[in-house]
Amino acid sequence: MSVIERNNVHVRGTGSTAMMFAHGFGCDQNMWRFVAPSFERDYRVVLFDHVGAGGSDLSAYRPDKYASLSGYADDVVEIGRELRLKDAVFVGHSVSAMIGALASLKAPGMFESLVMVGPSPRYIDDGDYVGGFSEAQIEELLESLADNHMGWSAAMAPAIMGNPDRPELGQELTNSFCRTDPDIAKAFARVTFKSDNRRDLEKITARTLVLQCSDDIIAGRQVGEYVHAHVAGSRLVFLGATGHCPNLSAPDEVISAIRTFA
Amino acid sequence: MADVEPIEDLEDLYENAPCGYLSLRPDGTIAKSNATLSAWIGFTPEQLVGSRFLDLLNVAGRIFYETHFAPLLRMQGSFNEVALDLVTASGARFPVLANALVRRDQEGKLLFIRITLFNAAERRQYERGLVAAKDAAQSTLNEEREVSQLREQFIAVLGHDLRNPLASILGVAEMLRRKPQTEQTMTYLGLLVGAAHRMSSLIDNVLDFARGRLGAGLDLSMEADVQLAAMLLQVVEELRAGTDREIDAEISIAHTVRCDPVRLGQLTSNLLGNALTHGAADTPVRLRAFTDDGVLEISVTNGGKQIPAAALERLFQPFFRREVRRSQQGLGLGLSISSEIAKAHGGTLTVQSSEQETRFTFRMPLSP
Repeated sequence: MSVIERNNVHVRGTGSTAMMFAHGFGCDQNMWRFVAPSFERDYRVVLFDHVGAGGSDLSAYRPDKYASLSGYADDVVEIGRELRLKDAVFVGHSVSAMIGALASLKAPGMFESLVMVGPSPRYIDDGDYVGGFSEAQIEELLESLADNHMGWSAAMAPAIMGNPDRPELGQELTNSFCRTDPDIAKAFARVTFKSDNRRDLEKITARTLVLQCSDDIIAGRQVGEYVHAHVAGSRLVFLGATGHCPNLSAPDEVISAIRTFA
Repeated sequence: MADVEPIEDLEDLYENAPCGYLSLRPDGTIAKSNATLSAWIGFTPEQLVGSRFLDLLNVAGRIFYETHFAPLLRMQGSFNEVALDLVTASGARFPVLANALVRRDQEGKLLFIRITLFNAAERRQYERGLVAAKDAAQSTLNEEREVSQLREQFIAVLGHDLRNPLASILGVAEMLRRKPQTEQTMTYLGLLVGAAHRMSSLIDNVLDFARGRLGAGLDLSMEADVQLAAMLLQVVEELRAGTDREIDAEISIAHTVRCDPVRLGQLTSNLLGNALTHGAADTPVRLRAFTDDGVLEISVTNGGKQIPAAALERLFQPFFRREVRRSQQGLGLGLSISSEIAKAHGGTLTVQSSEQETRFTFRMPLSP
């Protein structure tokens, strides 16, 4: 199984520079469907699914490897090597913002720029640091993941299939978007929400843009400011978009912020 | 005067519907809600309007909503049967199932996200019970699998370790048989050699079975041009040494055969051993082996009682044992492994049992 198949990698567009988009916890590369196409004219756009999500190879899931974000970053580096990425732009949503940062540290020269959309180096409060969640709240999340697995996989599929203007989407979505193995989903949630990468922030040397949404309950304003303060030379842009997924709710705002930066 | 047909009041239907209604603005704040929802969670409509839908959820639900359902709503315009916990004014949890549909204007601009909520307290309890039961069953199964694997590994190691001392016993007994002995000692030695051979084939069967269970499968070492007749006679001699019963052998194999000679020896030995154990003592056991028209056939027949139909069906399953005296009982692996050996050769092992006799027949095609 090649890396390309393992991570369901898709490369589109033309351009000497590559732009790689990475999805966060909960979804797959479809998260970028309203954003990525805008860059296909000027960039080699790279999309992929983390192992365990979407159309990735579930059999490639190794609990020990993916027990930390470092394992996911290794995959990003492998994809980058396979595609010979050099001085590329990495756009990571949510937990993948940190995965991209780790990948940039593992493979110097691969990513010249980092765009972190709603990043958080640590979700759980710790002393003076405000991550936004208590340990108990994250435990409750992990406990309650099973409540929605059935609806997620079985009941969502028929609704997703009826997509008249883009029939290929139906296929893509039924096969990937709803497919999450409950054990892997739980493990990924654990890795994501229990991660602590605060110390890695100051090691980042890539040009970095932090996109901070308004009213984001998952990565609040103070977290975005923390990231900005600890990544040397980083830029922080506040989006008018509310919620945690501006790539879906306000794609134009995200596109324009990335264009201005990259 | 006829009764006036009551007219459904849509306003009342909305307010007092058997489900909760919520309309959200594009930014996720509540624009409108119904009386049923207020009654469930203890917040007045005035309190609800303007607050965020997310504020009605517990923290876990907020995270899950933002990472899963909000994106789905954007991508497909709806979601169904989502399990959420509302937090009531008194801080209690109120489990619901939520459906949502996006309402857009003619230009496609998002107007509202409409959500219906269904009381799901008992359903949630039931589902959690199912999940817990499934987890418990899975963990028991995992433990059992681990134990059973260990047990089979143990059997494999034990079987292997028993082989060496047994080979020494056989070697010494054979050596003594070649020296001049009294007739009585020769009889004892014959019994000793026969018992050792029987034990050896039991060990082979156990090892094969354990290997099969451990996933290694039955391995064949095929050889071209095997002198099968000589090999079969040797097996007969080994079994004759351990019994005072008569074994008639009629072997007429004109061709050389491509097969695994050790495995076919094991199969023949299992069938003969089986016939000696279960057959009538006053009838000889008959071995017949011949090649004919591209087929090799080896059959073993014994006299005695008919095997009941129910037992016939299970005869080739591992650990199946017919009722015999305890001292004669084997492990019930011989026929099962013989059948596997037959299959591995592209052949079959079948049984016919009548009131007079029982016959096991192995047939395999001879490769050209």
